[in-house]
Formats: sequence, C-alpha cells, structure tokens
Amino acid sequence: MRNFLAFLQRFRVLLFFAFLQGLALTLYFTFLQFPRVQYLTTASAVTGSILEVRNDVTKHFNLSKNNQDLQKENIALRDSIPSSFIRLENGLVKIDDTLHRQQYSYIPATVINSTHHKRNNYFTLNIGSEQGIKRGMGVFSEKGVVGVIHNVSKHYAVVKSCLTENINIDIVIEKSGQFGLLKWNGKDPRRGTMWGVSNDTKVDKWSRVVTRGGGGIFPRGISVGKVEKTEAVEGKPLWDVTILYSEDYRSLQRVYIVKHLLKKELEDLQELIPQEKEE
Amino acid sequence: MNQLVKNILRFVFLLLVQVLVLNQIEIGFGIQLMIYPLFILLLPVDTSISGLLLLAFLLGISIDAMSNTYGLHASSLLMVAYFRPIIFKLFAPRDGYDPLLETNLITMGYKWFINTFGILLLMHHLWFFMLEMFTLNEFAFILQKTALSVPLSFLLCMLVQYLFMNKSSSK
Repeated sequence: MRNFLAFLQRFRVLLFFAFLQGLALTLYFTFLQFPRVQYLTTASAVTGSILEVRNDVTKHFNLSKNNQDLQKENIALRDSIPSSFIRLENGLVKIDDTLHRQQYSYIPATVINSTHHKRNNYFTLNIGSEQGIKRGMGVFSEKGVVGVIHNVSKHYAVVKSCLTENINIDIVIEKSGQFGLLKWNGKDPRRGTMWGVSNDTKVDKWSRVVTRGGGGIFPRGISVGKVEKTEAVEGKPLWDVTILYSEDYRSLQRVYIVKHLLKKELEDLQELIPQEKEE
Repeated sequence: MNQLVKNILRFVFLLLVQVLVLNQIEIGFGIQLMIYPLFILLLPVDTSISGLLLLAFLLGISIDAMSNTYGLHASSLLMVAYFRPIIFKLFAPRDGYDPLLETNLITMGYKWFINTFGILLLMHHLWFFMLEMFTLNEFAFILQKTALSVPLSFLLCMLVQYLFMNKSSSK
C-alpha cells in the first residue's frame, strides 16, 4: 500500500495529465459520433448567444450578394404561383385538393456560425426545438443541399454539413439515375465526392447531381452539384466521382429546414422490410 | 496590474480572439491560425503543473464549446501545458528564471522564445492536426498543414506581444 501511494505521489502529474487528456479525447470521439448533451457545443445558450452577436455584426458583409440570391429565388417562386398564369378556364386549377397532400414543409433559418477549413465542419442555426426542429432533419439553401441537423437545443441547432467526412446523404445523378452517397475529403470546400457508383456505367461530365429523396430527409431533386471528374478507385469496381458543389458554403447565410410531414408513415412502412441477417 | 486579474483578462481576450476572429479566417492550403497556446506560455513560471493542466483544459474546452470541435483544442493544449515545464527546464537561463518576471518575448529575448514557444507550438499543431484527421493515410497533408500553420501562428503570437506588452509593464 505504501509503495502504491509512493507510486501515485511520484507519478501524480503524469496521472493527472493522463486523466485530463483521456477526458478530452473521450469527449472528442464520443461527440464526433453522437452528441448526447448540448452544453459543450455551439447549440448551448451561452455560446449560441455570443455567436448570434457576432453574426449581427458580420451578416451584412455579403448583403448585396444575398439580396441578389433572394431576389432570384423570389422571381422563380413568383413564376410558379397561380396568379402568374393566365387562367384558361375558370376554377380549373387548385393544387391543395384531395389529390395533392402536402408532404414537405420548410422552415427558414439563418446560419450564425460556420467553419470550412476543419476536417469536420458544423454550422450553427438560430433556430431550435421550440420552432419544431429535430435531429435528423435535412437542411438546404436556395442553391443546394447543406446538411443534416446534428444536435438541437431550445433556441439553436447544429448542422452536420456537407463538409464533414461521413455526411452520407443519398444522392443521384439526375440524367442516368445512378445513386450513391455523398462524402467529403477534407480539403476543398467547393468539392465533394460521390461514393458507390459502379464503374461499368458511364458518368457524363457536368451532369447534375441531386438528392435522391429516400429516407424522408430531403425531397427529391434538391441540387447538390455537378460531376466534375471521374477517376477509377484502386481495387474496387467503383468510380470516384468528384462533385463541384452548387452552393458555396463559405458565404452561406439563409437556409431552409425540411420538415417531412409523413415521415412517421414512411418509417413505419420501412420497418416492415425484413432485416437481413448480419454476416 | 495584479497577476491574477491580468491572466483572467488574457484568458478571455485570447479565447474571444481565437473563436470570433481567427477561426473565421481562411487562408487556404489547410492553414489555421492559433493564438491561444500563448496563454499557457505566459503564465507565471512558478505555476504548478497541475494548475497549468487545469487551466489548459479549461481554455481548450471553452474554445471547443464555441467551435464544435468537442475536445480537440483541449487535448492539444494539454500537450502544451504538460511539456511546458520540461521545455522550460531545457532552455533555462544561466541563473534560473526570475519568478517575478513574465516569460515573454521581450523579457526573455528572441532566442529563448523561438526555442521554447517554437517547440511547444510545433507539438501542439502536430497533435492537433493528427487528431483532427485521425488517419495516417494522409500524413503528407497533416505535415503540410503543420508546416504552414506553425510559422504563421508563431508570427502572430510575436506580433501580439509586441503590440500589447512593453518592458516596464511586464515586470
């Protein structure tokens, strides 16, 4: 016992160091996979409000560009509302009838903090569980897909963005219909990769890549980017498809969060698929 | 100014500068500017190692909480705190450290500062980027990030000391 105490005494600094280091590393690796609490992230009230103040200062930096983008979107929306069509026959067009039921609704939000140069980048939004945000909802902007909600507090939310290693959004090449998963290699914030495209198919350069719409996170057809180049993966029958993102995440401010209104129905149905046995 | 008040103010200042300014700057090529290791260097010489470790953990985890890195900065800063006494002993002046004197660039001189802080910063960055990428497949990229970030962070820390410290007030 005395020897043990002497041992502790002798190595107390190293042990204390090892303890704190272990704590930090445990936090790092558990949070990276699945955040259990939100007080050590930007979703917490204190850091959230500091970042909001910062955003109040910096949000005007890209104001004119943001305004232009919003104007463009407004024009596109205005083009599609019924009053901008000439009515050929009275009372013929009504979208919200019993044949069409609204499947997705969208909640607007602002990005108040973001990074782009880390290995895994997370964005903070000024919207939280009080506005009905839940973990796993999709986030996109008018130009392209942004990410998936990773962690929610009362008034803030953290988004796992397309600039993280395993964002794994279901995407599909629009023209040919091949689908795969979205990944990011950690280097260039303008480019991502598409994983899982078989190399016996031809992938056209500059064909549009959109979300696939499975899993109820995103509706189908939200733009992700364009195919920039394809390279063979060594030792696997796959293409390594590089995608040029349509959204520049470095100047991202306005985003929309997808709320899938029939998500429960979809999940219940998919639960009925018989599970394959683990190999 | 009282040592305690001074260090508390420095803690807050470096934390806010790191999170609100430096983390938002992107130079490209994987460069990341870091100023917060300076806090550990400038603590009084007679601070105990446990105190250094605790403060390092506290500062690191505060930065983590505000930039969604979950312990990455804390772990790297702990490395700096743990190795500071060892490095300090290695490069001690002939007649030891003056406990009343703050160990900064101006009081200790260039050579000492480059030796100690250079090594600590290199250690910090290498650990940080290795932990962040967490794969040895891209070791060249880790080295590139480290090699480019260390000189820039170092220059920044030197600049800050020139701007905010002078010989009379640091005694």
